[in-house]
Amino acid sequence: MNQIKYFESIYIPLRKEKIYKRLGYNKHFTRIDEKQKNQLEDYFEEALLLLELKGAAKRILIEKNNTEKISLSGNISFESKKLANFLEGSSEVLIMGATAGKKIMESIVKDSTSDNLTRGVVFDAVASEMVDDCFLWMVNYFNTELRRENRQLTKRRFSAGYGDFELKNQKLIYNILELNKLDITLSNSFILIPEKSVTAVAGIINIE
Amino acid sequence: MDTKRKILNIIKKRILILDGATGTELQKRGYPGGICPEKWTIDHPDVLSSIYSDYCKAGSDIVFTSTFGANRLKLSEYNISDVVGTNKKLASLAKKAVTKNTFVAGDIGPTGHFIEPFGNIKFEEAVNIFKEQVKGLLEGGVDLFVIETMMDIQEARAALIAVKELTDSFTMVTMTFEKDGRTLNGTNPAAALITLQSLGADAFGCNCSTGPLGMLPFIESMKPLATIPLIAKPNAGLPKLLKGKTVFEMSPKDFAQSTKNIASAGANILGGCCGTTPKHIAHLEKILKNKKPQMPLKKSISALSSSKKSFILTENDPLKIIGERINPTGKKALQEELLNGKTSLIRSFAREQKEKGASLLDVNVGVPDIDEVKVLKDTINMLSIITDLPLVLDSSNIKALEKALRIYPGRALINSISGEKEKIEKLLPIAAKYGAMFILLPLTDKEIPATAIKRTKIIQSIYGHAKKLGFTKQDIVVDCLVMTVSSDPRSAIETLDTISWCRKTFKTKTVIGLSNVSFGMPQRKWINASFLSLAASRGLNMAIANPSLETFMNIKMASDVLLNKDPDASKYIQHFTDSKPLDKKEALVSTPEKNVSAAILEGNREEITEFISKALSTITPEELVNTYMIPSITKVGDLFEKKEYFLPQLIASAETMKKGFNYLQPLLKKSQKTNKSSSVILLATVRGDIHDIGKNIVALMLKNHGFKVIDLGKDVSTETILNKIRDNKPSIVGLSALMTTTMVNMKEVITQARKKGFKCHFIVGGAVVTNSYAKSIGAQYAKDGVEVVKAAKILIKNT
Repeated sequence: MNQIKYFESIYIPLRKEKIYKRLGYNKHFTRIDEKQKNQLEDYFEEALLLLELKGAAKRILIEKNNTEKISLSGNISFESKKLANFLEGSSEVLIMGATAGKKIMESIVKDSTSDNLTRGVVFDAVASEMVDDCFLWMVNYFNTELRRENRQLTKRRFSAGYGDFELKNQKLIYNILELNKLDITLSNSFILIPEKSVTAVAGIINIE
Repeated sequence: MDTKRKILNIIKKRILILDGATGTELQKRGYPGGICPEKWTIDHPDVLSSIYSDYCKAGSDIVFTSTFGANRLKLSEYNISDVVGTNKKLASLAKKAVTKNTFVAGDIGPTGHFIEPFGNIKFEEAVNIFKEQVKGLLEGGVDLFVIETMMDIQEARAALIAVKELTDSFTMVTMTFEKDGRTLNGTNPAAALITLQSLGADAFGCNCSTGPLGMLPFIESMKPLATIPLIAKPNAGLPKLLKGKTVFEMSPKDFAQSTKNIASAGANILGGCCGTTPKHIAHLEKILKNKKPQMPLKKSISALSSSKKSFILTENDPLKIIGERINPTGKKALQEELLNGKTSLIRSFAREQKEKGASLLDVNVGVPDIDEVKVLKDTINMLSIITDLPLVLDSSNIKALEKALRIYPGRALINSISGEKEKIEKLLPIAAKYGAMFILLPLTDKEIPATAIKRTKIIQSIYGHAKKLGFTKQDIVVDCLVMTVSSDPRSAIETLDTISWCRKTFKTKTVIGLSNVSFGMPQRKWINASFLSLAASRGLNMAIANPSLETFMNIKMASDVLLNKDPDASKYIQHFTDSKPLDKKEALVSTPEKNVSAAILEGNREEITEFISKALSTITPEELVNTYMIPSITKVGDLFEKKEYFLPQLIASAETMKKGFNYLQPLLKKSQKTNKSSSVILLATVRGDIHDIGKNIVALMLKNHGFKVIDLGKDVSTETILNKIRDNKPSIVGLSALMTTTMVNMKEVITQARKKGFKCHFIVGGAVVTNSYAKSIGAQYAKDGVEVVKAAKILIKNT
């Protein structure tokens, strides 16, 4: 029970308004003509063809939460007051990882160093938004399963690198989820590669 | 009377009532969680019996077996290998527990994995996994089947095929749609309905994920398209926080009242999912007792679907285009790609045709010596992920079509089924099994009929065969056969007469492959265009064509207006607005140098060098740069700061400027005028950080303003940065970091630089960097490329 679940092909509909916003579009001030808009949205479509959204997640029981340290089954522990506080009331955690894949990153790097930085920046924004949305996707997936157990995931998530939940914990998360199976590697400074790869922790709470 | 007929008879008279939640009821009655629920219920039969008994008393006509997770993959997580035995025991338990008027539905839930093309479980493996479960449930004596809580249309298809290949029992399918009206894999309710009702589901609907209010629009969207009864099994509202506890929000009374609206919208089978109890079902039964059911509004429907969305073909819709480009005939590059197992051309054809207005994509991979069964399957799998357009499966290889239909996660259109013996005997039953629509091609083994009269006879003959297999006229589209007008002057007229007959007499939809009509003629596009217009006027519904052909699409758009298929001409106007944007430069700009300014302002990289070239006939390179280009890029920065421009516009303009500069560079040198030497700026993303797109933008902006930029790249060690400062003596060093953990390395660089006595200025930036942090480490902060340029200019000026 509670094996790592891998999602080899995550489908996320493109939410254009979110990408526009990420790129700094302001509906009250920004002016963009039809030609520029078409060009941008062509880039959105191109980005979609390059994305390889994948995810991994694992449910793990919380054995102890002493407000400074979270101890999970399997001799796993995270030292972080903020994480411990965030997980107060949770009986389990869901550890998640997601990636936008190598192809889009290769294209972003190529565009950034050649003559189409505009496209690179748009691809970067699309990849960032889409990989974030992978978490929402996984949360919805697990909530369907959890509701049958009268449980659900916390609405918020927590990631290594925030507050006192140090980035070095990303190594532990990487190992727990065996993210190498999604073609993700971890740098010496605990950064996931390809760049558009992320991890997070959510709590599982009871529905009374 | 068999169970299937009994259920259908009840549905005609009243709303059929399902049970409520089982999982949450088991927990209330002792299931501790963390162990296999199926095993626990087998070990505690009295608990399960009490739940069934309560639902029977509450008025459930159908209860589900407690086998939601009793498939090989889920049971193996608890080291249980006897799938058939487990399902049989649980089905028997349910049969024993219910009253004689209550049916037991064998419950099939998701495996927890996604099926190809959306996941790593092979389609046939999924079918076999479900067959194992179906076998056990049948041995346990279930009356019908329910495939429920499906998130993946392909998994729902695999389960339905598994059931249908083992039994003719009444089979319900329900999927889980998220708040945005799609499954997690992006299938909307209408697409799921079209796919599964054509594949043989006896009832379809939705369960879980949302409460009755959220489910109402799903049922409303499906009712006009449904040929089978609709199901709704909502949760007891959504969980919400109440006095520190998370609870399902709806009381039994509120749930029943709200669910009644779903019955009014046309659902025929209703029950409850998570959070509902026997009390919820009792209230529901009471409130729906005298509610008159709304039977399906249609017996059949001309509709196709992809895994994402549906395509409804109606008589008065604008002419639809089936994109013809994914076909290797006459395309060497595509032939080679297919033989080498590559897909990039197919991907781009799919994208381009959708953009240009195709409603469906024809897919033909027929190349000599190719393994068409495999290649068509792989291509369908790939296209199912990258496009939301339904596919037209185009092959003369029956085996390839059979395999493609089996794995296609939607309702496909077959191109085509003719009156040839093999097609009638082999392909037609396959099309019927998978519920596909097909293009009826009116030719036989013996002849390709030249006249409309002969064609109509063959059409009726093929339809006669199809009707016996359950097809209706809604399921077919007639290919009216287009022959070459250069070899038979009457051929176009015969095609047009066939279209008229199909429309007026036979009352079926029509399609033509347009371009054959002009074969051998000069200036073919005019023949094709005229023919399209004439065919449209006879009532043609679809054309197989290349939507990238401008003349063709223009005629289509115009014909739709003239035939009142685009009543307010909105599509026509949109088409010409999109394809011919107002050229603002031509309208507003009159001189070559002003064109250069406009190109920078608009980010027009394509034309900047042409404009510069023209401008240089009247102006020197230096004047062009100083009077037009620099002020333009400065204005772009101002517009960006005022938020009138956003990032892509800023960068496009900067890239245009860069391209213009590069073009002018040799000419500026040639003019031998003194040029103030550029200030050197060193840029780097600090050690440990691999994020550098922001730094790249800064580099581009600085270069455009005349700075000499040395970009050291990303993840650059402190030592390297210090060495480069020593060697290049930059006026300014720009450091970038995206993360809090790497941001500290900026401080290290600056501290070490000061220790070594380097006098350069530092500008820092990046997502997590703030003004106060910059100050604390002795640097200046800039939030974006425009600010870096401003800051750099000030620092240089004050140096």
